[in-house]
Amino acid sequence: MTNDVLILCAAGMLVSAYLMVGQKALFTAIRLYSAQSLFLGIVAITIAISESRHDLFVTAALTVSLKGILIPWFLMRVIDRIGIHREIEPFLNVPASLLICVGLTVVGYRVSTGFPEGARGVSHHLIGTALSMLLIGLFLMVTRKKAITQILALLTVENAVFLVAVGVTSGMPLVVELGIFFDVILAVLILGILVHRIVDRFESMDVSRLAKLKG
Amino acid sequence: MTLMIHDALAATIMALLQTAGLLAAAPLLRAAIKKMKARLQNRQGPPLRQGYYDLAKLLRKEPIRSETASWVYVAGPRVYFAAAVAATTLVPVLFAAAPLEAAGGILLLVGTLALGRFALATAALDTGSPFGGMGASRDMTIAALAEPALMLGLFTSALAAGSLNLGALVRSVLQRGPSFHPSDLLAFAGLFIIVIAETGRIPVDNPATHLELTMIHEAMVLEYAGPDLALVEWTSALKELLYLTLLVDLFIPVGIATSAAPGAILVSLLAWAGKVFMLAIAVTLAESTNAKLRLFRVPELVSVSLGLAFLALAIRFL
Repeated sequence: MTNDVLILCAAGMLVSAYLMVGQKALFTAIRLYSAQSLFLGIVAITIAISESRHDLFVTAALTVSLKGILIPWFLMRVIDRIGIHREIEPFLNVPASLLICVGLTVVGYRVSTGFPEGARGVSHHLIGTALSMLLIGLFLMVTRKKAITQILALLTVENAVFLVAVGVTSGMPLVVELGIFFDVILAVLILGILVHRIVDRFESMDVSRLAKLKG
Repeated sequence: MTLMIHDALAATIMALLQTAGLLAAAPLLRAAIKKMKARLQNRQGPPLRQGYYDLAKLLRKEPIRSETASWVYVAGPRVYFAAAVAATTLVPVLFAAAPLEAAGGILLLVGTLALGRFALATAALDTGSPFGGMGASRDMTIAALAEPALMLGLFTSALAAGSLNLGALVRSVLQRGPSFHPSDLLAFAGLFIIVIAETGRIPVDNPATHLELTMIHEAMVLEYAGPDLALVEWTSALKELLYLTLLVDLFIPVGIATSAAPGAILVSLLAWAGKVFMLAIAVTLAESTNAKLRLFRVPELVSVSLGLAFLALAIRFL
């Protein structure tokens, strides 16, 4: 039962990462990230209950409140302010991106069998989905032009790392987790301000235009 | 446990009963989705009986056909209807066995549905009206992407069960118990998008409009009137119910009857109705919260489901 919930949530996170690749509306991408974080919260709660590790309840609460609600709210506000709602021209079109992401997922899954933990059933799937999400996040970061999408890709990578940390290892000390949450929040805030600055300067959040600074 | 139907007579009776039941329930599903959608928009919506009234009205009317229409035009809705009815006999509904599962499995199901689609598309081209041709070409464009995705999604389940037969597939899912694999969710997400695309729901097609720039299915059947139109409408509703039943069978077969005891059948009927209703709610929500995609964006959406289905199949192997 526990394993089923874990696998279901991990697969849900992978599907949301995949859908993020598949569409261009920024609001939907943010909502997908929010759903992904909620799944991560459920993973933490499930492990907290099944292995009676009560510090994980704090992690779950922080994940849901910060990553599930606060960061999406902040990013939506940024988008509302600057009034840019769509990823118009990514470097790769959607079908090609999806095809590459399928390949990346296969690679992630194949690699996960090489870990000693990967031999066991649930860990195999958790590591596999996490590695795939990591690769998809990195891929999104290099192929999308909009600064907001790149922030979301970074956050997806962070979620993937967190999934492994919570689900497979015996867990990080609470202080380290708090530190990571703080880092993420700060990163999003700073990147949000940076997006404002880019839009102010270039009237677009297309980061490929930043190269024009060279003159 | 196993409930194969060896007796030809029993299989025939069961096929007839199941088809009749699904045909009777199909308009209700459409009306229920329409009603829920209306309630989400703060409207009253048509009553649930409206689907039956519409069919009765259309069936009473005289068929009006274009002067240039040939037999292809007349045959179109009939083949479409027959193919969908044939497809229903391959899908388990109340029992963990399909009535005519000896005839074939997934491949036959997809092939039968493709035959119906082919018949309707050729019929749409037959009268030479621009709308028919436009609708047919659009429908085929989407079908060309949706069909492989549907097959890949179905193959994912077939691979786990070790059989292409839908009845055997459901039985194996029941036998395995509630064990879960990530590919199940990927395949479900892929197939759900396919169901929306195939039934002409909103991100892909809008069933409630006849706007010339956007319509797909409605453009194809624009020329039909009277009993011909009734057949097309009824079949579309039946296909929708069929696809939802297929999703229920493959991913959440909880409660399906494994014996012919009256109690088990009653539980199975309630479980099936409940699960289909839940999926109908999901379809309604998807339709109410999304805007219709531009036609050239639709292949992107369908390619997402193709990717998900392919991924589900790949992960099964790893």
